[in-house]
Amino acid sequence: MARESAHIRATCVEATEFMDLSRKFRVTGVPKTIVNESIEILGALPEELFVRGVLGLPEPDAPPDA
Amino acid sequence: MSLLSEQDQRIVREHLAKIQQPVTLLLFTQTIGAPETALIARQVLDELASLNDLLRVEEVNFVLEKDRAAQYGIDHIPAIVLLSNDDDTRMRFLGAPAGYEFMSLIEAVILAGTNDSQLDPESRALIAANVSAPVDIQVFVTPT
Repeated sequence: MARESAHIRATCVEATEFMDLSRKFRVTGVPKTIVNESIEILGALPEELFVRGVLGLPEPDAPPDA
Repeated sequence: MSLLSEQDQRIVREHLAKIQQPVTLLLFTQTIGAPETALIARQVLDELASLNDLLRVEEVNFVLEKDRAAQYGIDHIPAIVLLSNDDDTRMRFLGAPAGYEFMSLIEAVILAGTNDSQLDPESRALIAANVSAPVDIQVFVTPT
């Protein structure tokens, strides 16, 4: 995502090495994603759901016949 | 002694063949009192850089070069900043890139070495339509 927009910065944090950051963001499982120090995303999501989560957008509507 | 087996080196070298432009791996660390993980990070990066001529490792002293740490927003070490043609890609790694993080690092190096984000068209459209202010993404992971 950082490659797509100059506004986006992406950091991969080794949780066990930086306990101060892990505590600050209450990381109890990985992967855990923190956006702008506020939005939390748990687990590995499919790309579109992850992008929507990072951008704070609602999930897309389910297909009508789902 | 190398960290990667000859077979792994060959596989990584094949992946890195996609790179088209110079990538610099800035490693922020310190000379005195550096954590052991900083030494591991240096070894990992050196080994990775040995597998492709477009890759380069540059060590930055976190204590003495505070202006560069500030420039890239680095406040923990070891930290790795990826530059593409000397431009900040805004991709960073905190900690030694071992285990699964090594795979992520290779992917990030390929992203830095090409001009393709590899995102789906839908994702690119969402980003283009919705990002006009800084977005800071931190992904917490563990090596295993």
